[in-house]
Amino acid sequence: MTLRSGLLGALCGFLCACGNLPEPYAPPTQRPFFEAPAEAPQIINMADADAESHFVQDISAELEGNTWRWTGKRPTIRLRPGSNQKLVYSIDFTIAEQTFQQTGPVTLSLFVNDHLLDRVRYTSPGRRRVEKPVPAEWLERDQNATLAAEIDKLWMPPQRGGTPLGFILIALGLEQRGLERK
Amino acid sequence: MNALAALAGAASTVAACYGLGAMIAARLGARVRRDEKFPLAFVLGAAVLHLAIFAVMALHFAYRPILIALLAACVVAALVTGDWRLPAAEDAARERSLPRAIRYLFGAIAAVFTVLYLFNAWAPEISPDGSTYHLSLVALYLRAHGFKPVPTNVYSTLSGGVDILFLPAFAIGKHSAAALTHFAFLIALGLAVLSYGRRIGQPLAGAAAALLVYLSPIVGIDGTSAYNDVAVAAIVFSVFYWVQIWDSQREGRLLIAIGLLAGYCYAAKYTAFVMLIYAVGFVAWRTRRMGPALVVAAYSLVMVAPWILKDWIYVGNPVAPFANRYFQNPNIHVSFEDNWTAYLRTYGLKNLWTLPLEVTVNGETTGGLLGPIFLAAPLALLALRSRNGRRLLAPCALILATYAGNVGTRFLIPSLPFIALAMALALEPAAPLLILLVAIHAAASWPEYLQRYTQAWALQGIPYKAALRIVPEDRYLNDHDTYRWARMIEDHVPPGKRVLIRTEVATAYTSRDVLWGYEGAFNEEMQDLLDVGWDSSSQPRKLWMCSFPERRVCRLRVVQTGTTKIREEQWDVHELRFFDAGVELPRLPEWRLQAHPNPWGVQLAFDNSEATRWRSWETLHPGMNIEVDFGREQPVDQVRVELSDLDWRVRMRVEAMDANGLWKQLPAREELRPKQNEGSVRRAAAFELRAHGVDYLLLKDTDFGAKDIAENPAAWGMTRLVHESAASLYEVNP
Repeated sequence: MTLRSGLLGALCGFLCACGNLPEPYAPPTQRPFFEAPAEAPQIINMADADAESHFVQDISAELEGNTWRWTGKRPTIRLRPGSNQKLVYSIDFTIAEQTFQQTGPVTLSLFVNDHLLDRVRYTSPGRRRVEKPVPAEWLERDQNATLAAEIDKLWMPPQRGGTPLGFILIALGLEQRGLERK
Repeated sequence: MNALAALAGAASTVAACYGLGAMIAARLGARVRRDEKFPLAFVLGAAVLHLAIFAVMALHFAYRPILIALLAACVVAALVTGDWRLPAAEDAARERSLPRAIRYLFGAIAAVFTVLYLFNAWAPEISPDGSTYHLSLVALYLRAHGFKPVPTNVYSTLSGGVDILFLPAFAIGKHSAAALTHFAFLIALGLAVLSYGRRIGQPLAGAAAALLVYLSPIVGIDGTSAYNDVAVAAIVFSVFYWVQIWDSQREGRLLIAIGLLAGYCYAAKYTAFVMLIYAVGFVAWRTRRMGPALVVAAYSLVMVAPWILKDWIYVGNPVAPFANRYFQNPNIHVSFEDNWTAYLRTYGLKNLWTLPLEVTVNGETTGGLLGPIFLAAPLALLALRSRNGRRLLAPCALILATYAGNVGTRFLIPSLPFIALAMALALEPAAPLLILLVAIHAAASWPEYLQRYTQAWALQGIPYKAALRIVPEDRYLNDHDTYRWARMIEDHVPPGKRVLIRTEVATAYTSRDVLWGYEGAFNEEMQDLLDVGWDSSSQPRKLWMCSFPERRVCRLRVVQTGTTKIREEQWDVHELRFFDAGVELPRLPEWRLQAHPNPWGVQLAFDNSEATRWRSWETLHPGMNIEVDFGREQPVDQVRVELSDLDWRVRMRVEAMDANGLWKQLPAREELRPKQNEGSVRRAAAFELRAHGVDYLLLKDTDFGAKDIAENPAAWGMTRLVHESAASLYEVNP
């Protein structure tokens, strides 16, 4: 070892010796266990500030009357239910008078993760609310799930380039029934 | 009023630098020309004033009146002693001077750009680094009336010899005053280059080179922002200048100025430390003696030592944020240093051969451009034919040698005066060509034309309404998301609370404690909690079980033996558990835990949280280990390590310490199983954030993890307070 490298080593050794490697630690306080949330707010009101972050397709970006939005053929949202137990598909919507005049009776097909949950025929316009239990095996806890409602006939605008319309969507989501809120 | 305050803050700081420098230069017996005095005295004074402010900061006396008194004392003393005055003009008849037409042309170009620069520097400061770490640290120190450790901001560990001059300016005139102070360095640099040309009897080369530097787009925007690169260039060039003056006068006292300025180079920016080598080497070479060189080295230490000591005391690493392998500390991860420096060496450029074009014409990747004219920089080599040229290119080569460490365009600024002067010297015999080059450079650097060929960071126009505050400061700044996010934090987060961010926020405009996710070891650990919360590949999804015949041991360790070629791969241990006959050993207070590397994080592997993990914070390599001393002999027959899903190359073995104090590998059966989360990792992550004092979170919509939290804040135990300008502010629920 040359004098120079010896001096360099000694200097590094000196500097590092003044370092601050800690003494061994004792085990820390044990952390509490956090249950996965059994229930989370899962109904997406179209007026919610963060509603758009749930949209997958066919839901207008424009909020009308501070409460509702037009849909396309198959409005779809994405949720992440904290549980797959005792969930109910819930949709609050209106079949508009004006669109009904053109389309006549319409059928709405309800989907959860692309599984057909139900199919309902409406022979008159007006506001509706549908709730249907969702089989637990269609969903996975803490995983994304898609909810959709497909209308069989769209209202077609008279002028070219207009937007076809489905129905008026007010709220869509999952509710949990029969479990106590923690 | 704000506009005037900004001017007053900068003017008083600049005046103090000049006054102090003029007094020192006079006492050192420097014989400088009239045109040299301002730039040389200003930079020399800045060096010494920086030291005085450092002392005030270290003593925690940094109150506004004291800072103002310090500035005033420098100015008054210079006025009283008469050192403020400029020396008599040189005899014009004995000097080569510029033809009048060229003087007018160059003067007009310089004047127009000075107006551009002045109004940009004067306008509210919102430059990327200026409005973030440069001025947020200045503001923080002013609130604390002195230095304080800021382990959550790695930039606080860089030497801040220029930033510290922003302190009194900021105290008087806020953010713009700091930018205007930096602008003064730009003026000084231009004048110094101009004067040097005259000193060596080549005024046209000096004037042309001064403009080549002054008009360069990167110099323009950097020098009118609260950055420090142009100031560093001025300091670097001053060292060279004073060395040349000393060489012509051989006045021994000038070595003091050279030493102080060479040390100030380090104090201003680490990469400029090479000027210390230059100064010591040049003096030793010219005198053929070590004594004068040692004088230079000794005085440079006066400038260097405070910054080394500050880092050593506050961070445990005298050269932080580098060399963390050798100066291990809990504040900066080795992985940060590795990743950061690797990025700075390329800025993401796949082919470094494109760098010349990138830094001269494009500039969008490396953060600015020098100007297309600098594609002709190799012409500077022609200057090697002359003594003056060789003298310029020696320090230039030294400065350029550091450029490989950070290929950002602004890191070329310190070498630019030398390159420009050498280019101009080479082209001076072809004067019309040189003048044409300057004119082309001026046109190509003017914002309106610049925008036609690049979208790089550069000045956009003359914001005179903002500078004069005809457009209110708040309204002007509101055009920038980074400012709006800072105000969002200021408006919704109570004083004293911490906010974790993953994106750039103009932190100089909030007094809250804002932690940018990568700017410190603690920040990275908090950000890691978020990542574990939403990213399944970071979660404990693998369980490694090592079973062996029951044995009584006092100390056990798990040693990592895997290797990787991927820098980002680490060893992550979420939990380390010990079992005997299927029953986990309770973690007793007498246990003692150690890890290598990152001993400070070892408790995270023993806290029973699914969200936390001990990380090596270094690239995976054999020999890393976690050790437990049970405090007494303990029967054990199984070790379980919970690993992150991504830990593909991790290999482990278990060792026990025998009676002789030697580690012996246990003959064991290994098994790797998939593992599911048992609880809510998101909730656990939020709990840890709050437990570590991070009560708020600001996420841009496109940040990692932002979508997951936005989709269901309640699942995280968070509440969204506001969503604005494509970012959300959350409170971590108590």
